[in-house]
Amino acid sequence: MVKKKKSFQEEVTAVAEPIATEEMTRTSDFRANLEEIKTWNGVIGYILRNTTSAAIDLKDPTKIIDYAILSSSALDAAEELSTFFDLGKVKHIVVEGKDIKVLSLILGENKISVFLEKDADCEKVLTKLR
Amino acid sequence: MINEVYSFALKNALDEIRNICPDITHAFMFREDGEIVIGDQNTPEKNIVQAVNAFEGIFEKADSIGHVECITLESSNGRVNVFFMNELYFLIVTSRNADMNYVNTVTHVLIPTILRLVEKICPAPLKSNSSLTETRPEPKPETPIFEESEEPEPLRESIEESEKSVEPETTPDLLLPEPPVNQLIVENLGGLLVPSDTVRIDSAILAQWEELYEDKKIEEVEIETFDGKKTTCKVKPIKDSKYDGKGTVQMPEKIQSTLEIKKGELVRAKPIVE
Repeated sequence: MVKKKKSFQEEVTAVAEPIATEEMTRTSDFRANLEEIKTWNGVIGYILRNTTSAAIDLKDPTKIIDYAILSSSALDAAEELSTFFDLGKVKHIVVEGKDIKVLSLILGENKISVFLEKDADCEKVLTKLR
Repeated sequence: MINEVYSFALKNALDEIRNICPDITHAFMFREDGEIVIGDQNTPEKNIVQAVNAFEGIFEKADSIGHVECITLESSNGRVNVFFMNELYFLIVTSRNADMNYVNTVTHVLIPTILRLVEKICPAPLKSNSSLTETRPEPKPETPIFEESEEPEPLRESIEESEKSVEPETTPDLLLPEPPVNQLIVENLGGLLVPSDTVRIDSAILAQWEELYEDKKIEEVEIETFDGKKTTCKVKPIKDSKYDGKGTVQMPEKIQSTLEIKKGELVRAKPIVE
């Protein structure tokens, strides 16, 4: 299998320089929603990335790199699969492990991954984010 | 697809599932290491390879979430579901309007049942599939669900009846591992200098056999048809790259004649270890 190198180059910072006010507002909205979601039962944390910044809030900071790569890989895989099978625009992808599941989606320029415990409700998170 | 022959039963199952669930547009199975086990007849292998490669990044970091058990992708025109069952990942692509309750019911019932059935029918091969992944010993096979050619059965001297050894691999006690059984497709082997008592098999299969038996050289192999005719012959790796890695056994005309088979038919092959 051909190895695919992925790099997670985004810096883990607060939202940086605004490019467009509207976009920044949207990103701010997402952050506010994600902050609220993070308080819900079964939510472990989130990663929010766009072209200019990234925000990561996870309960276990030792997992940041792994989760960031997983989030990025999941979204890449979603795009590729959607292309291979002619499935149109990606809505979201959920990767479920034995202990944790990851809900990833792209909204505008924002790539969002929410990490949840196995039994947590993905639909509720999706509804909040959309 | 090293295991394509052994997977014949699974392939039929996938095709049948697609027949009863027309909303499933693609279905295939693969292992976490990227090895493709089987795909339905409507999905080109190239597409399967691309799709399986797409999961590589996810699997690399899967430990952080406790191994991937399920992946669900929702897109505007359909969805992809990947389930982990019996050490295999089973992927289905469904159309947007698919009744997922029905699809899930069918796939979650049929596929595990078939996998269990295959495992019962050929315990040794499937077990080694799962337990030897790290050492990558041998590809599997053995599924007596085939309908073989229906030739008459005049016995020849070198052919033994199969009844004695129908189940030789159910006693996992002794020192040497049970001989793995591989299903292979017969190809012709001809030429002036071709010995009439030697078949040629994928070098990868021979290597796996040798690895399984701690690098003992495998010089003889038992070939058995689905009619139960058997013969023992010498074995060498396939030289012709056109046939290597394709799950084939190249066989001189004399052996084909002894076994009463011909090109394109399936046989079982297992190593003979002294």
